[in-house]
Parts: sequence; C-alpha cells; structure tokens
Amino acid sequence: MSLQQKKEEPEIPTASMADIAFLLIVFFMLTTVFSANKGMEHILPPKEENDDVVDPQEAVYIQIFPSGQFTMDQTSYYIDDVEKVYEYVNSKVQVNAKKPIIVDANPEARYGDMVAILDQLKLLSAELKQDLAITIPTPEERELYQQMRQ
Amino acid sequence: MKVKKTKSLEANIPTASMADIAFLLIVFFMISTVFQVDKTSVALPTSHADTRHEVVKESAFVIITKDGTIKASDGVEDSQLVNIEDIQILAASWMQKRPSQPVVIKADGDARFSHVDKVLKHLRDAGVVNLKFLTEQAKSD
Repeated sequence: MSLQQKKEEPEIPTASMADIAFLLIVFFMLTTVFSANKGMEHILPPKEENDDVVDPQEAVYIQIFPSGQFTMDQTSYYIDDVEKVYEYVNSKVQVNAKKPIIVDANPEARYGDMVAILDQLKLLSAELKQDLAITIPTPEERELYQQMRQ
Repeated sequence: MKVKKTKSLEANIPTASMADIAFLLIVFFMISTVFQVDKTSVALPTSHADTRHEVVKESAFVIITKDGTIKASDGVEDSQLVNIEDIQILAASWMQKRPSQPVVIKADGDARFSHVDKVLKHLRDAGVVNLKFLTEQAKSD
C-alpha cells in the first residue's frame, strides 16, 4: 500500500507583519516633530567687512530703547506702532533702493522688540521682492555710530 | 421540494492589505520625522507668516532663555549648557565641518538684547553667515 502524503504548499507567514508595522508606526508617531520650526532669515556680514562702516547720517537709523520705545531718524514711537517702520522705510526705499537700514537695539532692550522691528523690515523686503541692506551693529559698531551721529 | 439550506460563509475581516497600509504610514512618518535637538521651552517672539521660513534640517541651534542661560547644539546632538565665551569656538568647529552651516537663534522674546548681541558677535567672528531668528506666527495672521 502506498501512502501518499498530501503536499503542503510553502508560504511565508505574514500574520505578524501588521503587528511589526504598527509597532514601527507607534515609534515614528511618538518621535515625530512636525517641522513647525520657522524663523526669520538674516545674513550676517563677513568679518572682513568690519572697516566698511555705513554712515549713520545716510542710513535709516532705528534705535530701540529698554522702555519699549524706538526712534526712527530722531522721531520717537512706541513699540505698539511698529507698523510705522514699514511705512517710513518703504517711503525711503522707494527713493533709494540701496538705502542702508541700521537696527541699533540697546543692550537692555527686549529681544522681542528688535524682532518686531526686523519683522516689519523683512515684510517690506518680501513685499518689494528685494533684499534690504539691514545691519544689526556689533557693540563696537554701535559705539562708533553713536559717536558719528553726535 | 425541500430547498437545501445554503452553506453559511464564515465571517472574517480581510487583513491582507493591513500590512500595506501600515507600511505606507511608516514611510510617511519616517520622512516627516525630525528629531528635536532642543526641548527648552522659551516664549518665542512673533513675526508674520510672510517673513517666516522653514528651518533647514541639521541646523545648529543657540538657545537663549529669559535669564540669559545659553545652550547650544550642532543640530545632531542634544543641546547642552555652554558659556557665552565658548560660542565662538563651538561655532567655528561647526563651520569647519560644514562651511554653509545654518545657525538658528532660539531666544526668549523677553530676554535682554545684550545676551543675543554677544551671541551674534561670537557667531559673526566664527564666520557664520546664514542665520535664522526662530519665531512664532503672529496671531493676527
């Protein structure tokens, strides 16, 4: 008598595949941080350009104070009127597109106030589709500018 | 005539495509995953949507808290406390590895500008060019 064994078809067990996949999903879901990180771009000038100081008399000179006030070419404003920066600089840049803009923040001033003013300048830059010559002076440059303005 | 009862089918949920769906989700999460190098909570200053640009992957971070504590990360390893004087050496080493290394300033909006000012000076001296001030979107947008 010949015993014929029923041939079993070979196959890869895939039942646990979904479990493994879901484990990986849980891992990636927990570690994912959606790239919500956004910020304002600013190009720092190369170190060698140190001697090439802009004449503050010819630039739009924005000075920020610790009290939450700022001055634009001697006119004083509160930081709540930050939109004035957009209007004023726009009027200047329309005449001379290469007009330098100096953002001189007092060391005791709020960083947030400086960002608010920079935001207005970048907004204008985006609107005009051209880069503005924005300078954030170093402590030495700031001293020099203040001497030059006197 | 007696009608023969139809053989009832066994109920089952088709799970063959389950793995495919799961792998699709995995691929999505793998691509969108960005490992956060810094978890310090700071009240970021706000800016308009038009002025905000996506932070490039593996950007170096300098974190400045309200009280002037400085932390830094090269964009790969977690941020660590550093002295303000060491920023220049650190930034120079980042620039040596990758000359176009972008640096992100994550500073508290209420921090004194002098802290940011010193960091900016050190970064500039180290040859950093590409800078970003991390902000949150202004609510009016």
